[in-house]
Amino acid sequence: MARSPRASGTSRRPRAETGTRREAVGSRPTEAPPRTVAARRRQVPAQSPALEEDAGWEEARVIEPAADAEQSTRPATAGPRFQIFIIDAGWDSPAHRVLHRNFGLLRDLQRGEPIYVLSREKSIEFIRRHASSLLGKDPIIAVHDLEALGASGTAGFHGFRLHLGLLSTEQQALLALQAFSRFLNAHRQSLDLEAEIRRNLRREGMIGAIEIILHHEPREIGG
Amino acid sequence: MPERWSDYLSILMGALAVGYIVYEIDRRRRKLHDVWDVLGGEDAELTIGLVSMVESGELQPYAGSALS
Repeated sequence: MARSPRASGTSRRPRAETGTRREAVGSRPTEAPPRTVAARRRQVPAQSPALEEDAGWEEARVIEPAADAEQSTRPATAGPRFQIFIIDAGWDSPAHRVLHRNFGLLRDLQRGEPIYVLSREKSIEFIRRHASSLLGKDPIIAVHDLEALGASGTAGFHGFRLHLGLLSTEQQALLALQAFSRFLNAHRQSLDLEAEIRRNLRREGMIGAIEIILHHEPREIGG
Repeated sequence: MPERWSDYLSILMGALAVGYIVYEIDRRRRKLHDVWDVLGGEDAELTIGLVSMVESGELQPYAGSALS
């Protein structure tokens, strides 16, 4: 599949730029010590063995950019970006079975992001009280973007939902779960998550229209 | 201006084909939009409901490796 060209003004930062920034930071003499343990050992030969057990923790501190470095991307060590909720009333559907079979893998792939699972009773109560429009669309995986929530609250964009219950086959549900996991992992550092969702998941725009026909994943899920 | 009925038929078939492609793209895109829903201001109540469950301790991060 041809990747959709980046729109002008897109705020997604390429990874190379982040690496370049970190290398530039490391080359200045007043910067934080080198990232690798071996390099630090060369610099501090008198370091006692007892301190080596803290090397891992210190290395995590070293990775953070210097305070005066330009903070134009979300630091990789900034903590969880997403809150993930699974709402499942328990319909005996292909999506329900696929979710149960693949939940362990999904959880392992999203380590670092808290996953909250509503029990059957809680899910039913939640749907009845707050979201009767979601009846029949579960299992639902709701993702809250903690950055957007912190910046503008719930007034604007603050996440997305995957309505697995709308998918009628196990193949579709599995593809959607894989796309979901891939998207979260690929865009954890994204500055404009809404644009990424509209382009890569909802296939909006002219390129999205072409991908709907030519790319098997949106063709299968949307079929 | 088409001279033979076959030309009219070709134009009609072409228009139907284009129309079908447009319809199919629109149908699949609507399905994708139903499956992948963007949360906005209209979903505030749902979001607040879930967040309040987390903050009150009613929901804890799931520690199991499989759904019960």
